[in-house]
Amino acid sequence: MRAPKLVFFALLLMVTVVLAQSQQPAARQTGVLRLRVRVKADDAAPLRGLSRKRFFLIPGTIEQNRALIDAIARQASTSRDCYYQKIGASAALIAWLRDGDCESVYCRGVEQDFVVGPKAVPEFATAFATSQKEFGNDETARQWLTTNLAADVRDGFYRSRQTSLAALLKQASPEVHSVMTDRNGTAYFTDLGPGTYVLTNLIPTELGQNFVTWNCEVQVKPGDLATEKPYLVSNRKDKNVKCVGIEKPKPVCATD
Amino acid sequence: MRWDREAKTSLCHGLTRMTRIKTFAAVTFLILICVHPRSSAADYSKFSHETPKHQATCNTCHKMVFPDIKDYPDHDACVSCHRPQFFKGARPPICSVCHSKTSPRDEARYAFRNPASKLQFMIEFPHDRHQDVIAMLRFSHAQQSYNNCTICHATRTTTFKAVPTNHSSCFNCHWKAQQPVATNCNGCHKLATPYVPATKPTRISIKYLHEGGGEKKQHIAECTTCHINITKAASLRGLKPDVPITACTECHNKDGLRQDLNTELVAIDKNRNFTCVYCHAPNVGNLDPPASHYLIAERPPLKRKDIR
Repeated sequence: MRAPKLVFFALLLMVTVVLAQSQQPAARQTGVLRLRVRVKADDAAPLRGLSRKRFFLIPGTIEQNRALIDAIARQASTSRDCYYQKIGASAALIAWLRDGDCESVYCRGVEQDFVVGPKAVPEFATAFATSQKEFGNDETARQWLTTNLAADVRDGFYRSRQTSLAALLKQASPEVHSVMTDRNGTAYFTDLGPGTYVLTNLIPTELGQNFVTWNCEVQVKPGDLATEKPYLVSNRKDKNVKCVGIEKPKPVCATD
Repeated sequence: MRWDREAKTSLCHGLTRMTRIKTFAAVTFLILICVHPRSSAADYSKFSHETPKHQATCNTCHKMVFPDIKDYPDHDACVSCHRPQFFKGARPPICSVCHSKTSPRDEARYAFRNPASKLQFMIEFPHDRHQDVIAMLRFSHAQQSYNNCTICHATRTTTFKAVPTNHSSCFNCHWKAQQPVATNCNGCHKLATPYVPATKPTRISIKYLHEGGGEKKQHIAECTTCHINITKAASLRGLKPDVPITACTECHNKDGLRQDLNTELVAIDKNRNFTCVYCHAPNVGNLDPPASHYLIAERPPLKRKDIR
């Protein structure tokens, strides 16, 4: 009497397992956000694409992310120039970083002109001399020059921003998406679940004499990249602009 | 069926409980003997980093000589534990881990690392972080190189970019101080189940030329303009060189410019066996165009079989 029951339950279990395995997962509907960031450094300047800036998409409404939004507003920001002045970097290095809108020395190749000669950056010249001794070859010494720069000079500003970013992201949902704009200020958030998100740059972006922060609510619907109209982001109001940044003057650098 | 059940019942009832336990124990023992790898049959012709004794710090065996690790470890690294295997017979199997001929008169070695052997490590490379710090236009007075991606992805052929095969593109920043440094192998290399790497990624628009785009070479653009997902990729896992159709149709299907997509979709309307050849090789060009292509053309998607 017991055996047929056992066989029945075993068969039932097998059928359940087979059915569960054969069930196709429902196709997940996703959406896309095609970002277009165009800014003006000042009123006289032309509108241009904001290149190489990271934007974040955080699930939830602004209200649901209120603690994070408040933390973004409260954070004390240091400009690149102030950071490098504070660590005693040369004016030449500060100018070199500013020319490339760089957060660290890695963002552009160090050319010969900036190692020796009238345009030389003192920090690069010193690191180059050390590298020559270490690697015994001028070309390698130049290309591997950053390996002999002090940590703060190398990427201290970038790391300080990453630390602030990590602290802010701790307050956000773990499902944060992030992308970086290309040279035209375009970026794509793909594979997004439909819903409400907050589009933010978390850490203020330096633009001329100002810091700009964007925190905007975005609705994402299922859709394809092919039909997605750009979501325009700017620091200037316009009828087409969906997200306008809040500008604050950059603080004056503290002098020792 | 009935006979089977009776036979099984009588078999079980015929054995005492003790006998059944003994039989079960004996069968289990035999299975374990068969399944368990016998230590006496260790295959010394195969080296595995998974072996616990092979998991010391990397520089125990691999010597970092500027600017890279270029060769297999010296004999000392192996002999310290494997002396008996080194002097076993005329052709010790252990030699074949590195040497193409197991002969004391021939020192020839396989290329390092042996391309025929399975990979034992996965590489962790966060594209997103590297994009943050290096992906900008490179300033060059001599020749405008269009993106710092070229530090690692130089042109291999006119269509495809190469991937790094040594450490040269890593160590110019990560040689020392900037973690993971050259001696911190584990910073990038994670032990994995041995695997054969994919030789090449799937290419869909195989006729695309990175250096192309007519006389003006309009394909020379910032990499992230088309490879839209790379700035969010925190790992190499699941990474694909994905490019949306919109990256192509911005120029190739624009009013007053070109109508390459529309032209081929119309050709399919007229002949369902038409092969799309402008971008694709026949293996892809014979398939149904995906919905994204029809969306660009602002038409409802069609299946070839439904076209008369």
